[in-house]
Amino acid sequence: MLELSHTLKQRWFWYSVLTILGWAGWALLLKIGSEEIPSEPSLFLQTTGMIPLAVILVLAGSSRGSHSKLGIVYSLLNGIITGIGILCLLAAYRSGGNTSVVAVTTSLYPLVTFALAVPLLREKLTGLQICGLFLATISIVLFSL
Amino acid sequence: MHLTAWLMFTILALVCFGVVGLLQKLSTDLVSAESALVWLSVGFLLLQPFLYPGRSLLHYSARNVAFVFAAGVCNALGSWAVLAAMKCGGKASVVVPLTAVYPSVVCLVAPLLLHEHISALQGIGIVCGLGAIFLLAS
Repeated sequence: MLELSHTLKQRWFWYSVLTILGWAGWALLLKIGSEEIPSEPSLFLQTTGMIPLAVILVLAGSSRGSHSKLGIVYSLLNGIITGIGILCLLAAYRSGGNTSVVAVTTSLYPLVTFALAVPLLREKLTGLQICGLFLATISIVLFSL
Repeated sequence: MHLTAWLMFTILALVCFGVVGLLQKLSTDLVSAESALVWLSVGFLLLQPFLYPGRSLLHYSARNVAFVFAAGVCNALGSWAVLAAMKCGGKASVVVPLTAVYPSVVCLVAPLLLHEHISALQGIGIVCGLGAIFLLAS
């Protein structure tokens, strides 16, 4: 309980909550808009929809002062690899993959991040957080079915 | 072992999404969340030529185009927030699974907005998702 009340005062937790709300909004709007628009034009439009925030951040100067070339390369790769991941997902559906199997398998990506972050970033999780990771995995799998 | 095309693409997608979580943390260790989002958007834009649907975009209703465009705005907001969470000290191994439970919110809101029903499995998923948030925040 002490750790929980400590976490509730941490900014990273509330940014994570904002992410959940942002992505929930993304999923809901996409559900409505995609009734008519197929996946590839939809992805094109979604990416276009990301530009206004990026432009606002550039114009506001919020992105200045970050000159690390390696950091920029990581960020660029972040966008490119996400895009490639989405294209692979679409290709998996198109090559005859069972929708449920593809959705469930790809939704397990937090486990890949976990498997990479623990040895590479030397992150340590408490026993409760590991239980949380598995509970999150069950939740994600159930929503993918 | 013979890998069918769909399985190969599925595994590739899984690895890509998993690696992205690691890259988010690595990038925000070196640049601001805002800068990371700007360059992430540039990375996305590099793939736009492969996705450009041409004139077919003009055939869709303005309402649906607006909804999908707004979805992109929400995605950008969520992406900025996940980068900010990592910049503020959130661990990739905690933030990534924590934010991946966003379908719980979708399932809670969808019956109100889209008049959809929650299945028993989705109900269990919501409970697990909320429990995961509680435990990951511990």
